[in-house]
Amino acid sequence: MTVLEAQNLTKTYAIGDRQIPVLGDVSFSVSAGEFLVVAGASGSGKTTLLTLLSGLDRPTAGSVWIEGTDITHLSEDELAPFRNETMGFVFQSFHLVPSLNALENVMFPAELRKDPDAPKKAASLMERVGLSDRRDNFPHQLSGGEKQRVALCRALINDPRIIFADEPTGNLDSENSAAILKLMLDLREERGATLVMVTHSPEIAATADRTITLTDGRITGEQRHAA
Amino acid sequence: MPHSRFIFRQLTRSGNQAAVFVLCVTLSIVTLVAVNGFGDSISRSLLRDARTLHSGDIILHAHTPLSRPLLDAAADLERSGKAQTVRIYEFYSVVRSGMGDDSLLADIKIAGPAYPFYGRVTLASGRDFQSVLTPGAAVVERPLLDRMGLSVGDPLKVGEATLTIRDVVVHEPDRPVSFLSFGPRVFVAMSDLDKLDLLKRGSRVRHYLLLKTPEGTDLERMADRLRSVAVPGQERVETYRTARSRIKGFFDNFLFFLALIGIFTLLLSGIGIQSALTALLKEKERTIAAVKAMGGTGRFVIGHYIAVVGILGAIGTVLGLVLGFALQWAMPTLFGGLLPDDLPLTLSFRAMLEGLVLGVMAVALFAFLPLHRLREIKPGAVFRKESAGRRRGLPFYLAAAALFLFFTAMVLWQLEDPRIGIWFVLGISGLILLTALAAAAILAGLRRLPLRALAPRQALRGLFRPGNATRATIVTLGAALAVLFSIFLVEKNLDAAFVRSYPADAPNLFFIDIQPDQTAGVSELLGTAPRYYPVIRSRLLSVNDEKIDRERERKRRRDNLARTFNLTYRDYLLDDESMLEGNSLFRDDIDGLQVSVLDTVVDMRPMAIGDRLEFNIQGVPVTAAVSSIRTRTKESIKPFFYFVFPEDSLLKHAPQSIFTAVRVPKDKIGETQNRIADRFPNITAIDVTQAIADFADIVHRLSVVVRFFTLFSLLAGVLIIVSSVLATRFARTQEAVYFKVLGAKSRFVLTVFTLENLIIGLISAALALAISQTGAWIISVRVLDIAYRPYPGASLLMGAATVLLVVAVGLSASLSILKQRPVIFLREQTEE
Ligand SMILES: Nc1ncnc2c1ncn2[C@@H]1O[C@H](COP(=O)(O)OP(=O)(O)O)[C@@H](O)[C@H]1O
Ligand SMILES: [Mg+2]
Repeated sequence: MTVLEAQNLTKTYAIGDRQIPVLGDVSFSVSAGEFLVVAGASGSGKTTLLTLLSGLDRPTAGSVWIEGTDITHLSEDELAPFRNETMGFVFQSFHLVPSLNALENVMFPAELRKDPDAPKKAASLMERVGLSDRRDNFPHQLSGGEKQRVALCRALINDPRIIFADEPTGNLDSENSAAILKLMLDLREERGATLVMVTHSPEIAATADRTITLTDGRITGEQRHAA
Repeated sequence: MPHSRFIFRQLTRSGNQAAVFVLCVTLSIVTLVAVNGFGDSISRSLLRDARTLHSGDIILHAHTPLSRPLLDAAADLERSGKAQTVRIYEFYSVVRSGMGDDSLLADIKIAGPAYPFYGRVTLASGRDFQSVLTPGAAVVERPLLDRMGLSVGDPLKVGEATLTIRDVVVHEPDRPVSFLSFGPRVFVAMSDLDKLDLLKRGSRVRHYLLLKTPEGTDLERMADRLRSVAVPGQERVETYRTARSRIKGFFDNFLFFLALIGIFTLLLSGIGIQSALTALLKEKERTIAAVKAMGGTGRFVIGHYIAVVGILGAIGTVLGLVLGFALQWAMPTLFGGLLPDDLPLTLSFRAMLEGLVLGVMAVALFAFLPLHRLREIKPGAVFRKESAGRRRGLPFYLAAAALFLFFTAMVLWQLEDPRIGIWFVLGISGLILLTALAAAAILAGLRRLPLRALAPRQALRGLFRPGNATRATIVTLGAALAVLFSIFLVEKNLDAAFVRSYPADAPNLFFIDIQPDQTAGVSELLGTAPRYYPVIRSRLLSVNDEKIDRERERKRRRDNLARTFNLTYRDYLLDDESMLEGNSLFRDDIDGLQVSVLDTVVDMRPMAIGDRLEFNIQGVPVTAAVSSIRTRTKESIKPFFYFVFPEDSLLKHAPQSIFTAVRVPKDKIGETQNRIADRFPNITAIDVTQAIADFADIVHRLSVVVRFFTLFSLLAGVLIIVSSVLATRFARTQEAVYFKVLGAKSRFVLTVFTLENLIIGLISAALALAISQTGAWIISVRVLDIAYRPYPGASLLMGAATVLLVVAVGLSASLSILKQRPVIFLREQTEE
């Protein structure tokens, strides 16, 4: 079953009167529970693709379908429930809300949907990632690895069906990177969620179901890995 | 070597905070230039020449006819060529039109031919004053003609005489503004004095004798000599240097008040300058760190930012000067009717320069701290996201101390009495301290508040987001509004006290200077027999043998024991009086003369039943024992007397005039006034409605001026809000984007931001209201001596307006983010 589909996605940036094509005619689909890695050189358009897939940006042409809904032209408010319940995000630079402590950051998406179990769920996720003693710390009091673990919990609290991760370990040292990735993959596994991850790491790519490679905004390679 | 491209780039990229900074500088300069220029215009055109303001070198003044010895001494001086003299009489009297069909209370001035010694009386015709003011002539102010429908050439009845209006007076050197007196001026020649027949015994006439001395005269010695023959406590001998002028006193007070508002505005715009600059430089922190990382020295960075700030400051200053200039032209409109039409509100370069220097000093002082902090930025900040915590080192305290001293010096410099200045400085410091403490307490309380609902909890969290200046914003906003609200509340209460004192059934026509044998005639003309109050003018000499210290008493701002009191005699209590001490007005157990005093007197000096008061009743010392203390139950315009003697006492035989007050239908006032004035020209009828309307009009105009200048501090307050919103815009945008990415709808984001601003607005407004209510209450009750009303409706309205303003400004900065896709912001955040 297809949960996510890109149809002829094109993105051009206008700088002055020059049109800079960043993504050209990208189409593919992702099935439920799949782990997809997006690879490619820096500047090849991976982040752009991810933001289009997740509705954080609008394509110049083409469309994005999530679980059978065309989200391309939805308004920000119409996208809100998708962002809240259907997807989870993990960014390279964490993007934690600075005025909230770790636990509150994790709870936030659950609280938005008025989940009465938000504190309980958050606490157990924090425990799962080994951050129980850091729950009252604010983002500026956390290390990079800790921040990313909080971000991971936050992305998972509403049990999203699709998780988007853009170089989640890009800002971390190798030790932390490995730990985070392991956590992420384990948690995905447990929940059976779909994962779309941008990464440079061939080892991770090897564990994925499929890798697509971007070169200058076009898909130049697609590789399936045996499970 | 300055790097001009760097400076240029920083200037063009500075954006909104730079605009706020420039506007704050502009505001400081405009305020200082406007207030200074206005004050200077007034002083130069109205007050500068004290000799002109008193029209003589030495001024002899009394409310009773000048005594023989004093007149003789003056005459001696004149005979020996040591001085020229001129006599002047001033009093209010009702003048009538030639037909006797219209009448008006006028401020009569009868001056000898040598008047004025200094300055010039300007007539509408341009002719020479003394050549026009011949026997039988009257020279009047324009409003008299307008109100009575007369023109030059028409007859005018003054007292028993019928004069002819010969000209219109445009400017009078010793009365440069007319709004401090009731009724228009009428000049009458000295030779007509007797014909008027108005100088009855006991009438309220101001008697003057002015002396003009040759250059080089020792005025003090001459004044001392005259003083030695004057009747103490009754006749005043002053030189033009020491004489107090009501007009000067009034403008000194008024200008001082404006200066304080100006200083307050300067303080607020200074805070705006500081916060805008801090935010501006914070935005540049990365650039600065990068420059430092590339090897730029701290001096390079600071030097260049000083250049940037200097250029922005210069733009603000020039803008301020231009607007200040423009304002000077608007002044006459603003002051319409308060100042003489021919008042030259010229631009004084001294005042402009003064404003400029002070403004630039203030800007420099306020800009110092943010600039100084640039030195603390480490090259490493390029790599770190959070900026280093602000340490408050020695420079902070030094700058704070310098600012405090600067403002204290400014306040002290504005006035002669340093005590008021110290009070003001202490008051403002106390105000800010109080606001800061209250804000801190409230915020600390809020921080602990356990909230279940997400949006309000998030809003509360927003207040404490790192780097937020929530408390500083609340303190400046609260303090600024507290001052504005206080001014408003005091004004409202003054207004109300005024209205209250004039209820619908209050008398509206007062008759003064009725002679004892005229009461029957007056009753007949009025058609009723009103209550007549005998009035005996007198001074208090001592209390329990302790002499009244006249100099000290006169220094008191409010009523004092040194002035002339009106005594009366009667055996009954008035309707609006009640006993405070003693059971009846007078007692059987006191031998000799008794007197009942009003509690107002006791407020000036504590007194008890049995205390001995010594009066000087027109030259005769009289001692009486306090028999009771009365109080008034209503503040109203009804007549009241501080000292009441028994009906059957020696007062009955003292020289006296009689006073009465009646209520006449409005349309009958003029007619009644005419009838009385026709038959008894010596009786002065005061149309209280008119007098009150005139006074209310003046109060209103003054408050327009005050409001105009307080508007500047309001603007500064708004700029502070804008600056603080801009300073947190990045943080708010970031939060809005994160909320959206996590699935929040725009309504949630809006709710959070609205609530956040609402909390800031509510705390500021609540603090401002609490402080202003307390302040206005103290000012009303303690200083102005009027009953206080809190005006809850208007207060809530002001509070609501504040909250609305804060919410609106706050939201306007974050609205644009709601409809945008989050990616734009996220990208900026990721690129590092
Ligand atoms: N707002 C923008 N305007 C212009 N060009 C952009 C913008 N955002 C990204 N790009 C360009 O698009 C290309 C792809 O960027 P990105 O998707 O971030 O690549 P990747 O994540 O693979 O490194 C880059 O060349 C980048 O410079
Ligand atoms: Mg990228």
